[in-house]
Amino acid sequence: MSDRTSVLTLRLAGPLQSWGASSRFARRTTERAPTKSGVVGLLAAAQGRDRAADIADLAALRFAVRLDQPGTRVRDYQTAHHAETGKSMPVSERFYLSDAVFVAAVEGDTDLIGALHAAVRSPVYLPFLGRRSCPPSRPVDLRVHRGGLWRALESEPWQASAWVQRRRSHERRVELEVIADLPTGEGPGDAVRDRPLSFDPHHRRYGLRAVHSRAVTVPNPLGGSPSTSRRDFVPPKHDPMGLLED
Amino acid sequence: MSRTIIDVHVLQTVPPSNLNRDDTGTPKTAVYGGVRRARVSSQAWKRATRRAFQNLLDPSELGVRTRRVAELLADRITAVEPSLDQAAALVLAAETLHTATGSKIEVPRRKADSAKKKGEPEPPPESSYLMFLSSRQLDGLARLAVEGADDIKVFLKAKENKDKARELADTRHSVDIALFGRMVADSADINVDAAAQVAHAISVHQVENESDYYTAVDDQNERDEESGAGMIGTVDFNSATLYRYAALDVDRLRDNLGVGLRPDEPLHEPVRRAVRAFLHGFVASMPTGKINTFGNHTLPEAVIVTLRSARPISFVAAFEEPVLAPQAVGGHLRGACTQLLAHASDIEKAYDVTDDPSWVLHVGAATEPLAALGTEVSLSGLLDAVGKAVADRLAAPTRSEDAGAVPTQAPAPAAEGESQPA
Repeated sequence: MSDRTSVLTLRLAGPLQSWGASSRFARRTTERAPTKSGVVGLLAAAQGRDRAADIADLAALRFAVRLDQPGTRVRDYQTAHHAETGKSMPVSERFYLSDAVFVAAVEGDTDLIGALHAAVRSPVYLPFLGRRSCPPSRPVDLRVHRGGLWRALESEPWQASAWVQRRRSHERRVELEVIADLPTGEGPGDAVRDRPLSFDPHHRRYGLRAVHSRAVTVPNPLGGSPSTSRRDFVPPKHDPMGLLED
Repeated sequence: MSRTIIDVHVLQTVPPSNLNRDDTGTPKTAVYGGVRRARVSSQAWKRATRRAFQNLLDPSELGVRTRRVAELLADRITAVEPSLDQAAALVLAAETLHTATGSKIEVPRRKADSAKKKGEPEPPPESSYLMFLSSRQLDGLARLAVEGADDIKVFLKAKENKDKARELADTRHSVDIALFGRMVADSADINVDAAAQVAHAISVHQVENESDYYTAVDDQNERDEESGAGMIGTVDFNSATLYRYAALDVDRLRDNLGVGLRPDEPLHEPVRRAVRAFLHGFVASMPTGKINTFGNHTLPEAVIVTLRSARPISFVAAFEEPVLAPQAVGGHLRGACTQLLAHASDIEKAYDVTDDPSWVLHVGAATEPLAALGTEVSLSGLLDAVGKAVADRLAAPTRSEDAGAVPTQAPAPAAEGESQPA
């Protein structure tokens, strides 16, 4: 971490998103959090790089994603209609995450991060959350942070919806899972095939990426208010036998 | 870089209906804001939009999406050269399509076997997935096939003819291909990246699917005084006020439509027509799922169209907190309009985009507040105004140098998202 590196944080939220890592053909699954290849693809598209363009600089960014609101899984079964017979033909089974909110962070050279920040604010190709039919529910860019990835993820406010924050209002601070690139030389980690090498449709390639999962703690903006706190709930006095006594 | 992006926001109420069902027959849903919502998938509404184009555009500006593309081309071949019989035309068509798209065009084995068993003639060849070709592309390929009719295999082996075939499949894209894209799995370089992005429609309020138990009476039994139903069944449905959103990248549309146009052809006219068709088609169309059962022919209560200069902005977060119907009045539309107005104003202020030109079409008193979001228009007024604004932007002097620009290649994808079979 030096003066020459910064962190760009992105808020990835929408009714639906889908981040496939290894699925192909008719069954398209989603990971439980945005993938590095997905986010790198979003950034590359924002910059207007074509699919065959070199993305080594983006793939080299240090990546982490914070699970602010994990969401639920939705299965979508898609058919297509035969043009002449009108009969529907099964095409694919697709999975989405619905109602999820994530904070993705990329760390790298300050100039590159600045360029990426500008690109997501004025994208050449329209942004989407893993699949074109999943536009973000609001602009994705949060801000550029000085300092390292973890500091950025610890300082970024909890992005979960108000109803989620309210539901956990008994917690003044909440623990959020972060899935992050494992720095080289640190432990074995988990290997996922999610290091984008090329988006060229002729030979799309992904390498292995070592990740580890850790938690950060951030304040709950709606936490600690006694009126809504479940822990302070005192049940009203109710004694069904009271009337029978004497 | 100057950008032109059109945001389309629609509020539309549908009565009990089943516009888009999953494989168990129930209407599709998703969870948003912690509660279940009605959902109509983007592909369902894109198909409805594409069907609406048949009445909005000339057939020459449209494409056909089918596996039976060889028959389609063969018909055009015999139209160009009536001396060819259907069987010969099919052979020419299959070879030409194979060269142009890289995809195998063969008789599906199951169909061939079944025809053999029944002693029927061999069925026509098909592509292994849905092919999307414009009318102009098919005409061009038909002429090329006729040119090489003497010995099509040798003809297409020649480099210049091979290149010609590929070029024909990659130029003069129809309006629907330019808008919705094309995916040819066997030949990525003739793919077209979609200019339109359509979101799944979701209800602004909580929805539980309901089930209708029905019995059908056998008319003959009734006469014979037999009791009991002829058949029984259930059909699932829900009713909803939907928020529908689409973003149209006008720069991408211009690039897609510009491929293969002669340099002297002005681009803003085809782009203007395509923008009008998309708006009209998207706003006024309805997926046909169970429409004869429910007769849910409604039109939107409110449409807001905004011309953005930097990036698209969906207003779906306005409904993350589900709209509650007031007990005394009922209905979700009024609450939806209130929430939409507040959210749209807030977000446009926060992101400094309050000056982007907007048009509002709205019906009835409940939607009245939305008028604050832009110029009030009717549907034809909306189409004229947006079409004109787009044409003006494309014709503006700063853009003239690249108005006929060759398109950039397709963008880097997010994840492996869009690589479904075409």
